[in-house]
Amino acid sequence: MPAAAEAYSLGVPVEIGKIEQELKKLWREGEAAMTRASLMNLAIYSEEPGSLEKNTKLAAEITENHACRSIVIEADCRSEENRVEAWISAHCHVSRTGKKQVCSEQISFLIKGGCTTQLPSIILSNLDSDLPFYLWWQGGLHDPMDAQLWEWVDRFIYDSHGWKDFPAQMALVETAQREAKQRLVLCDLNWTRLDNLRFALAQFFDHPASHHRLAKISKIRIDFAPGFRSTALLFVGWMGAQLNWEIDEVRSSRELRFTGMSGRPIDVELREHDGQPVHEIALTSDDVEFGVTYANCGDLLEVSRVQTGEKRVPQLMPAGNNDPVGLISAELIRGGPHQVYLNALNCVRDLL
Amino acid sequence: MNRSAEQQMNPLREGLSTRAVPQPCSIVIFGATGDLTHRKLIPALYNLAADGELPPAVAIIGFARRPKSDDDFRKEMEEAVRKFSRQAVRDEIWKTFSQSLFYHQSEFGDEAGYKSLAERLEETDNERGTRGNRLFYFAAGPDQFETILKNLKAAELNRAKEGSWARVIIEKPFGTDLASARELNRIVNDAFDERQTYRIDHFLGKETAQNILVLRFANAIFEPLWNTRYIDHLQITAAETLGVETRAGYYETAGALRDMVQNHLLQLLCLVTMEAPTDLRADSIRDEKVKVVRALRRITGSEVAKNVVRAQYTEGAIGGQPVPGYRQEKGVDPKSTTETYAALRINIDNWRWADVPVYMRVGKRLPKSATEISVHFKKAPPVLFNKETVTIDQNVLVIRIQPDEGISLRMLAKIPGTSLRIEPVKMDFHYGTSFGKASPEAYERLLLDAMSGDATLFARRDEVEEAWTFIDPIEEAWQAKKDAPELYFYPAGSWGPEAADDLLARDGRPWRRL
Repeated sequence: MPAAAEAYSLGVPVEIGKIEQELKKLWREGEAAMTRASLMNLAIYSEEPGSLEKNTKLAAEITENHACRSIVIEADCRSEENRVEAWISAHCHVSRTGKKQVCSEQISFLIKGGCTTQLPSIILSNLDSDLPFYLWWQGGLHDPMDAQLWEWVDRFIYDSHGWKDFPAQMALVETAQREAKQRLVLCDLNWTRLDNLRFALAQFFDHPASHHRLAKISKIRIDFAPGFRSTALLFVGWMGAQLNWEIDEVRSSRELRFTGMSGRPIDVELREHDGQPVHEIALTSDDVEFGVTYANCGDLLEVSRVQTGEKRVPQLMPAGNNDPVGLISAELIRGGPHQVYLNALNCVRDLL
Repeated sequence: MNRSAEQQMNPLREGLSTRAVPQPCSIVIFGATGDLTHRKLIPALYNLAADGELPPAVAIIGFARRPKSDDDFRKEMEEAVRKFSRQAVRDEIWKTFSQSLFYHQSEFGDEAGYKSLAERLEETDNERGTRGNRLFYFAAGPDQFETILKNLKAAELNRAKEGSWARVIIEKPFGTDLASARELNRIVNDAFDERQTYRIDHFLGKETAQNILVLRFANAIFEPLWNTRYIDHLQITAAETLGVETRAGYYETAGALRDMVQNHLLQLLCLVTMEAPTDLRADSIRDEKVKVVRALRRITGSEVAKNVVRAQYTEGAIGGQPVPGYRQEKGVDPKSTTETYAALRINIDNWRWADVPVYMRVGKRLPKSATEISVHFKKAPPVLFNKETVTIDQNVLVIRIQPDEGISLRMLAKIPGTSLRIEPVKMDFHYGTSFGKASPEAYERLLLDAMSGDATLFARRDEVEEAWTFIDPIEEAWQAKKDAPELYFYPAGSWGPEAADDLLARDGRPWRRL
């Protein structure tokens, strides 16, 4: 199947009504050398011109570790035309055992006009049956959104980092969640960006002898990159929600004050400068400073705990990947709800 | 499988991890210059560090006889990790990790060496925040266990301070028979309580072994069929192409039955036949496993020859390459009667498994390396498509433990065409194909569990002793001076002796073709 094996190509153009038939043909031709694998449906939706090629490249990289049927959609909702074009292709990777090529199929759509009416029917008629359905929505959301679609989505992936009007966008997301008749898990990639940082900070307090330090936190400093203030705020929201803090005062865009359970004030300083989305966190509890920062190599975190008079013994931990493939991969590997995210969000909702 | 109380008490952990959190500790490895330390333990600890799974404060102290500095030990371990680690070594990570490696030179029998070890551990607690937690890993030969344990006790290293813990990990063999296992357990428990003792069986650390319980108890379709009513028989195979290699000294005193069946294969049998535990606590699972071992019908006296086949490989070829026979291997007695192959017909005398035989085979120098469990279901009634004149295969569910981990199900389907022809087809799930993420090595998982205090995947004392009560009568019959069952021979590269085929043929069954 020559067309399908080409990396990042949209593949073979197909008639909308013959997609399944053409896919079967594709697999029949490559049967001896390839294994088809799929653990989920991953639909990637974007309205950015040229996104079809860009997202095909992302799908190729994602399927290296997450076998899925990808449904890549580029929509031009303002177009006066009303038509849909489709292609099928496969992303093949040599398996870990090195014996066979493991392939994931991709169906690509270019929608011109009538997005809200066409989108549900296109997605729903091309899902691989019995597999969970993840919808990755790139960019802003529209109103109205089709309730029929939400009933089928298991995990709704978006990135709140790029939202211009956070309250309005979040209201649409929450409407989608209400309209879904089954459980719809909200997966914010802006939250996923914090996974490794949260993990690195949390591990300081695993030992029972460290628990009392949580109640004595007096100061947090977070350094974030331009455009990632919402990411830094979600981190603060996480600390606040998990430790039962309440916002006391917004002194400026850089300074906040929370009140802890015992009435103790916690000062938060947000500093913006170039670097990783959130590149350094320093937390003070009595005479101990807990630090998490990016190591020079960029993909490791350096964590350290320094008490007055003690030698600093830094350790390295994985920092994860902040690129779209890294974030999506982290999200796809995880199951279960994101209740902690919702709590964090609610804690700082008014600041976002 | 347990979530530790500590994890639940750290509110920042919520939603971040579903496994118990390992705690800061010092890990002391006895036999730090040995093969196991080089090939498995230090690479496993490095991988845990690279994945961010090690606790923030850890010190690894190699304890061995040869004089060596910390730096020498670090250099040696770096070579080992570069050679044996499952992931490439990153200089930045190694640099940090290696700072947690230390060497303590002492004879195992030198009391003073343990006193200085205790002092060193105290210092480590103060300098590195390991909080008085100690994990002692016995990677030395079993003949050294008693000496080490007595000295640990004398130096009071077996007892942890208030709020800390001391644990010991013991490698197999857990004795050579019931008496020696009990003696070993007595010696171990004289220094460490059972709750402090972790008997490692690396088969249980394998992803596919852990998946057996998920397959059985998370999928509602299997459990109703998992009994004598629907299952005809089970087969467990552990085949390897390798010969005795450099282990002749140990293998000559052990043989296939003690080396593999008493521990690994009986553990797999337990996982596949146990009842559902009430919860996922370590003892709940181990309680159910030990019930299975207790229910195994003991094979004694003349029954041994009928139900167990032992054999030894002779010269032959593996993958087209000629290989010597067992008796010609370096370090093996030219008249050795040690079995390199064993096949058993086992019955489990409980309600669920009555009349379902379990056939188990293990061998060296077999045509391919594969460990798997196959569940052979009863045939459909001989009516309609299954008339007695037509040969119809059984449905077989295969759980592949290694390599190519996965699960397959054989079922029957009509061949397309105008005539009615039925043939078996296979539905196949491969871990490697479906999940891009490589599984951690068994030792990584098990070390992490021991640091977290989760003993689920470790063998408990009663499991080990019960297993020996099953194995001992077979060994006794084999060692008998009079009427001992025959030792068969098979050429290297074959699937074992004909007698093993006969063992199943008598019941009208063949071994599964691998």
